[in-house]
This record gives sequence, C-alpha cells and structure tokens, in this order.
Amino acid sequence: MANAIDQTRRMLSLVTYLRERNGARVGDVARAFGISEDELISDLDVLPMCGTSFRGGDLLDIDTDGERIWFRNPGATDTGEPLRLAADEATALLVAARAVATLPGLRAGDRDALVRATAKLEAAAGEVASASSRLSVTFESEGGVFADVDRAISEGRRLWLRYYSPARDELTEREVDPIRLFAVGHTYVEAWCRLTEARRTFRLDRVAEIKILDEPSDPPPIEPRDLSEGIVRTTDEDPEVVVEVGPGGRWVAEYYPHDSAEELPDGGLRVTLRAPDPSSLRRLALRLGRDGRITAPSDLADAAREAAVKALAAYEDA
Amino acid sequence: MAIAKAERLMNLALCLLSTRRPLTKRELRGSIEAYVEAFGQGQYRPEPDAADESFNRMFERDKDDLRELGMVIETVESLDGETGYLARRDRNTLPPVALDPEEAAALGLAAKVWQHARLAGAASGALQKLRAGGMPDGGDPYEGGHSAIEPRIPAREAAFEPLMLACRDRRPVVFDYRKSNSPQPQPRHVEPWQLECWRGQWYLAGYDRDRSAERVFRLSRITGKVRNRGRGFTAEVPDRVTVRETVAAWAGELTDRTARIRLRTGAGYPLRAKALSAREAAQPGWDELEIPYGHGLDAWLVEFGPDVVVLEPAELRADVIDRLRAVAKG
Repeated sequence: MANAIDQTRRMLSLVTYLRERNGARVGDVARAFGISEDELISDLDVLPMCGTSFRGGDLLDIDTDGERIWFRNPGATDTGEPLRLAADEATALLVAARAVATLPGLRAGDRDALVRATAKLEAAAGEVASASSRLSVTFESEGGVFADVDRAISEGRRLWLRYYSPARDELTEREVDPIRLFAVGHTYVEAWCRLTEARRTFRLDRVAEIKILDEPSDPPPIEPRDLSEGIVRTTDEDPEVVVEVGPGGRWVAEYYPHDSAEELPDGGLRVTLRAPDPSSLRRLALRLGRDGRITAPSDLADAAREAAVKALAAYEDA
Repeated sequence: MAIAKAERLMNLALCLLSTRRPLTKRELRGSIEAYVEAFGQGQYRPEPDAADESFNRMFERDKDDLRELGMVIETVESLDGETGYLARRDRNTLPPVALDPEEAAALGLAAKVWQHARLAGAASGALQKLRAGGMPDGGDPYEGGHSAIEPRIPAREAAFEPLMLACRDRRPVVFDYRKSNSPQPQPRHVEPWQLECWRGQWYLAGYDRDRSAERVFRLSRITGKVRNRGRGFTAEVPDRVTVRETVAAWAGELTDRTARIRLRTGAGYPLRAKALSAREAAQPGWDELEIPYGHGLDAWLVEFGPDVVVLEPAELRADVIDRLRAVAKG
C-alpha cells in the first residue's frame, strides 16, 4: 500500500506547513504540494482524526470551508519542523537532479540552479544521501542541437532540419514546428512536420544539420504523447514481419517491440513484429548474418539476399 | 469500516514524535484508535493471545513504514524489561535548507522525472517536506527562461525496485538471468553494488558469487523474481563502479584501431559522423573514410549492404564477407 505511505508523509508535511499559515487557501496549498484540491480535501478529512491522543485527546483541530483552511490548535503537536528526508526521498531527488544537470545543451542558468540545489540537498539529507550514489542515470543528447531546439520552442519559431532516417539510410530536409523536447535515454523533439503534415518524433543525435527559421512556429493543437508507453509504437494495421533467429540473434526480441517470440528447438526464437515500412528492416536482415533470417514477407527476405549478393560482387572485383 | 491505514500511521507518527519519554507498545496500542478498534486495549498477560500476535505484527509493519518515510524510531529498554519507543525531535528534523526560487524550480523539474511509482512518490514527498520547511514557490518550470526539456527516467523492469532496495541496504540477491545468446536462464548469486541507466536501459553492477568476479547485468534479461539471500557482502565494494564503460565496450564504443572503408556518396551518414577522415575515392561516386574499429563494427557495416566496401584491415574485411555470404545463402 504505497499510497497510504505517500499520504502519511504528505499529511505530516501538511501539518507543519499549515501551522505557519492559518487561513491558507485550498488552491494555493494544493499547488504548493503538487496535488489536486480533491486529494487535499481528503487529507483534511483524515487530519481531525489524528493527534497525540495518549496525552488525553489532543486531536488536530483542522477544518476547511472548501476555500480556506483553519488550524485552530497548532499547539497540539510539536511538528514545527518538517521530518528529515528518508533515504528513498533523497535518492529520488538527488539522482534525478544530477542526471538532468549533466544533460548536454541545458541552459547554464538551469544547470547552475540544479548544482546549487543538489549541494544544499546533500547537506540537509546527511548520511541518507550516501545511498543515492548507488543509482545513476545518464541522458544522451546533442548539446548544440538541443540548444537550438530549446531556443526555437521558447521563441516560437520554425526549424529546418537535415535528418537521418536509418530505415532508408538517407538524409531528408524538412521544416518542422517544434512542440516539446523530452529525454528518455536519448533526447527527442516532438514536432509538427510540415513535409508530412503529421506529428513526428526526431532523435537529436540523428539531426545532421539544424537552422532556426524566421517564420513563427504554428503547430496545430495536439495532445502531447504519453511517454510512459515507450517511444516506438506500432499498430495492428502495420504489416507483419517474421524473423527466425538462432541463439546469437535473441537480442532481436530485446530491441524490437514484438507481438510474439516463440522458442525454437535450437535455442533460437521466432519473433513476430510489426513495421509500418517492412523494407526498413532490410538492415536487420543483413546485420543478423548467420544468426537469423527474415522469413516473411518474402520480398523483404529477397531484398536482403540481393543486397548481400551485390555487396559481395564488389569484393570479388577487387 | 476499518480505520484507514494512513490515519493509523499518522497517529503512530504523531505519538512517537511528540513524546518526551519512550512509550511502551501497550501504551501505543491503548491510545491509537485504529489499534483499539482492531485488537482491543490489550491486557498484560504472560502468554500473548491471538489478538496480541496480530497487533504485534501490524505494529512492526507500521514502524517499518514510518522508517520508509524517514523517521528514526528509537527502541529503549526500561528497567523493568519493557520496551519503549520514541522518535526524538533532534534526530528527526530536517535541517534548514535555504533554497532560492531558481533552485526550487530546478528541484520541481527534477521531481517530475521518475516514471516509477515508488521513486515518483518519494520525490514528491521530499519536495513537500522542503515546502513545509519554507521552500519558495519556483513557479512553472516550463515557463519563463528555463530549458523546455522534459526528462523522463523509465523503470519498467520488475527487477528494478527489489534491486534498488538491495543496493540501498547492501543485501545479496539471487535471480535468474538469461544471457543474450542463451535460451535458458541461469540462477546468479550477486552482491549488488550499483544500478545505472544508460540510453534508457537499466544495468546492475555487482559481485557475482558464482564467478567470483565483478559482473554487469542488464535488467531486462532478468527473468522471474529477485530474492534476498542472507545478509552481508563477502567482497569489498570498489570506490568506483564502471557500469557505463562495460556497456560501452559491449556496444563497440571502446576502440583502439581504425578501419578504412569505401562508402557510396550520399549514403551512411552515421558512418560519416564518426569518421576520423573522409575524402573522395578514386572511383567516381564513392568516398573513402577512416573510422574507429571496435567490437561489433562488422555487423554494423553489413547493414549498409552494397553501399560499403571494407578496404582494411583484412580481418574486418574477412568478417564482413563472411556475414554477407551467410545472408546471400538465405
């Protein structure tokens, strides 16, 4: 029941916070605590049942008219200062702050603020801060491209990109209206692509060249993508590709989101996945070599074979 | 309706934080309504009955939960042998942290990073404590002069949380691990040192008891449950754990040699981006590049099919031809 733990920790902080701010507004307190007003109201329903009752019924007298919050007996507890940080709390905040601070391309002001805050937090956390060194996160980014995209977003300007598509091994030029920058392992920009008239996600390390244009950015209003499901997403309408691999090709199931991975008698796998453009998987077939082959669609298997024959010809000529 | 757990924990916390003298289990049971309602007041009896036993179990769990929140609960043995509990103010108070609005905004951004319920909850909890301690409002981190970045740390692997706790508490673990090229998982006994996330993947570095050596594991290859195995490490934890270097070596990014290749004009941008030198080749329509040569380069070059010809070294050329032959055979 992680929720009860989160709520308890929040209520302890609330009691401390409200002691100093009698008559605080519900909306302000909810915002300061990063919770909804409903969550705050449900905390306020519980708090009057709490207190140091062994001393003879000193329950907290906290109530609200839905607009303001009144703490009528702040002397009922000694909780004048917030509770020290727990190991997980220090770890969660310190690891995240350190990771963000090392993102190439981050504005210097933000980086400095993170570094200063991290040092103060380490000092305040004391010995529990040491556990945070057992977790670390690195984001990959292209600093120069990041800084340009960041500037284009804040100034509301269109971008011109020369962008590498690994599926076709080619560079394409396009104008895009940037919507947001996000980092999940690698750093990406989500943008409205003027070339395809669609939302596209571009990985910054695949941007070969970038220019900030004078035209204003004007993306249509769209819901930002939910990042919790991963970056690469395919649908049931995309064509099916079947790859059979030996033991040395089992990594395919780790790298490609797939519909199924069936064990084969030789210790290999039959992986069924979906690709909007199956020809983009020719490079996978070539990479696998003797560790596997594409069995469907057959024209994809043929394309890989032909490419290999053609490549070998260059060595025979030499 | 049973009294909600958060209310019970809150009352226990307030009792322990407000008391000046250690409170016995019996006193706590008698003064916290949730305990009274569930188990009765409790009498002093030489042999505990069933209600006493269940109360004891709940009380132990509740104390553990409060410790997760950061509370230091002391246990004091009294002269007549009864155990008392208290949480001293001086050991439980967050020292003053003076953060300016810029720093507050930076921490606000950092607190949104975790896509993992437990750490996301812990990060918000930490911010709320800082807020209760007077941290100013940093405003919206996505507005006004800040980087427009939304960093996210995924932690979808089931093994993440148990390994995080095992690293934190320095507890040995055992788990089934499937090596990349092996169909059957093998049990691995590991003293876990550190977790590291690189390119969106989590890795564990630790001492592998079966192999008596340091090893790096990829969390997505752990199958089944991570179980705790006893207490205490047998091997010394090094000052510096090098997860990323190990993984980079797997990925072929540690290179000490160079290769010379011919690349069709316009093709293979990533090879060009890594090239140490590039010039037009004698054959029209081709360029000649020098690129770093590390583990896995052969597989990568083959991906470009007829657009790449390896010139040297001979060993790399042979590996590429070998791979191409396997594909050509179908």
